[in-house]
Amino acid sequence: MSASSLRSFEYLEGLPGTTFNRLYKQPSTALAIFRRMLPHLAKSFVMALLYISHPMPVTDLEAWVRPDGRRERDNAVNLLERLHILAAATNPGKPRAYALTNPFAASLRLALTGGGNHHSFGVPYSTSEEDTMSITDLDEFARRQWEGVLGYMVGSTGMNIASEGVTLSQGVKILLASGRLVEARGKTVDITKDGFAFILQEVNAQVWTMLILYLQNAESLNMDEVDVLAFLFMLGSLELGLPYSKANLTQTQANMLEDLGDFGIVYQASPDSSYFYPTRLATTLTSDAGGLRSSSFASPADNNRGFIVIETNYRVYAYTSSNLQIAILQLFARLITRYPNMVAGKVTRESIRRAVSMGITSDQIISYLTTHAHPQMAKNQPVLPPTVVDQIRLWQLEGDRMKATVGFLFKDFNSQAEFQAPCRYAEEIGVLVWKHEGQRKFFVTRHEQVAAYLRNKSGKGG
Amino acid sequence: MPKAVKGVLVECDPSIKAIILKIDQAKHDYIVEDLDDQTLVVKESQLQRLKARLEEELSNTQQMPDDSASD
Repeated sequence: MSASSLRSFEYLEGLPGTTFNRLYKQPSTALAIFRRMLPHLAKSFVMALLYISHPMPVTDLEAWVRPDGRRERDNAVNLLERLHILAAATNPGKPRAYALTNPFAASLRLALTGGGNHHSFGVPYSTSEEDTMSITDLDEFARRQWEGVLGYMVGSTGMNIASEGVTLSQGVKILLASGRLVEARGKTVDITKDGFAFILQEVNAQVWTMLILYLQNAESLNMDEVDVLAFLFMLGSLELGLPYSKANLTQTQANMLEDLGDFGIVYQASPDSSYFYPTRLATTLTSDAGGLRSSSFASPADNNRGFIVIETNYRVYAYTSSNLQIAILQLFARLITRYPNMVAGKVTRESIRRAVSMGITSDQIISYLTTHAHPQMAKNQPVLPPTVVDQIRLWQLEGDRMKATVGFLFKDFNSQAEFQAPCRYAEEIGVLVWKHEGQRKFFVTRHEQVAAYLRNKSGKGG
Repeated sequence: MPKAVKGVLVECDPSIKAIILKIDQAKHDYIVEDLDDQTLVVKESQLQRLKARLEEELSNTQQMPDDSASD
């Protein structure tokens, strides 16, 4: 599962149940959650339960999964419950049973089999020939806008980035600042730790991060969160290169179009035109394909190609003239010379330590170098020289004297037996980080499942 | 009745842990639970500050090898 969907998960899980209830009224939302957010096993459960009208006893559900797949099953069921897709029907006297929650099931059925008058998948608009935008035009527009945003963020690293005529609206700048991706210091902006991590992510993850920021800000702008989310999920189901009508959008959603235009997520000829185009950034939001990688999104000259060569002596050559790419490279490498079509530099202990102290991890650097490796480099197996990869990791470790894991400590167990059962359970579902038999304490990354297990246990025991 | 406490599990070398204990000694505002030689639980809100303090302590006591400036 990609980082981007993890990020959107965390956000979604934090929403109250009533919000889900309203969200799932839109078939496009139900379908988007289903196809993008669920692992395969969870999808199978949903499909199997979709046309069953009465709750399915837990034992039957368990029978579908082989005993050795228990962990996957528990994870799937747990996720479905957290997303309010599956709910346990509590009939006293009867065994526990699961059923799909209603707006979700009804909407998904509508989405899969069609019908209804919901306009939830957008209403196509017919334009006259000369007004149509080609897919290349849309890609170019999206790239320019998005690079404008990134350029604004790294603009403070000392490189002067010519923003290619993109002027960022005040709204975008405020959004970046409120998400703590940049910090305004008087007239200039400084990029923050989170900002650096953000820059090195792939585009789809960046878009999601930005949209979640937008959502969190929506309420302070008097926008309805559900309206905003439903619109985003709808955008994900539109087709690239087709214009869509604005007629059936709510006021909030019409306002959003303008903001999303600043990011290059949608295109509209002017704020009062009666149609809009989704760009590739929008249509890949909820698809599994992930379509658009940051490498293919580099400046048109570097089209789709990797451009970085790194040698075993830590020297880096980057065949690019894009100021944005150079600025990004400069985050973790010491650049020495610049030629019209290439920059040369070196990865040093100091430059990596600086990057790490800004919050960039060695893994991010390595994955950036790998995905942007020059085609000649990409032929190698492994792509990057192992010595360089190891050294970058070691340089980071040098600064990381301790390993920190956020989570929960369980303690004060009365007996060894009482301690062992939940501890083993935590290990099975893969959340256990540390345990100590003698002290009867253990540490987990998530407590919900373990707490539920303990409650069940004490319920049964007496 | 078992209890759950929120925090950050920190795993490190005994020597690093000794420094953390020393930092905590002043006000006791970092550590939630001292588990063993190499593990302890600290407050989530204090983690960044603890890291900074640790870095500070280390740079006072250790000399980092120099970067070769040759290119």
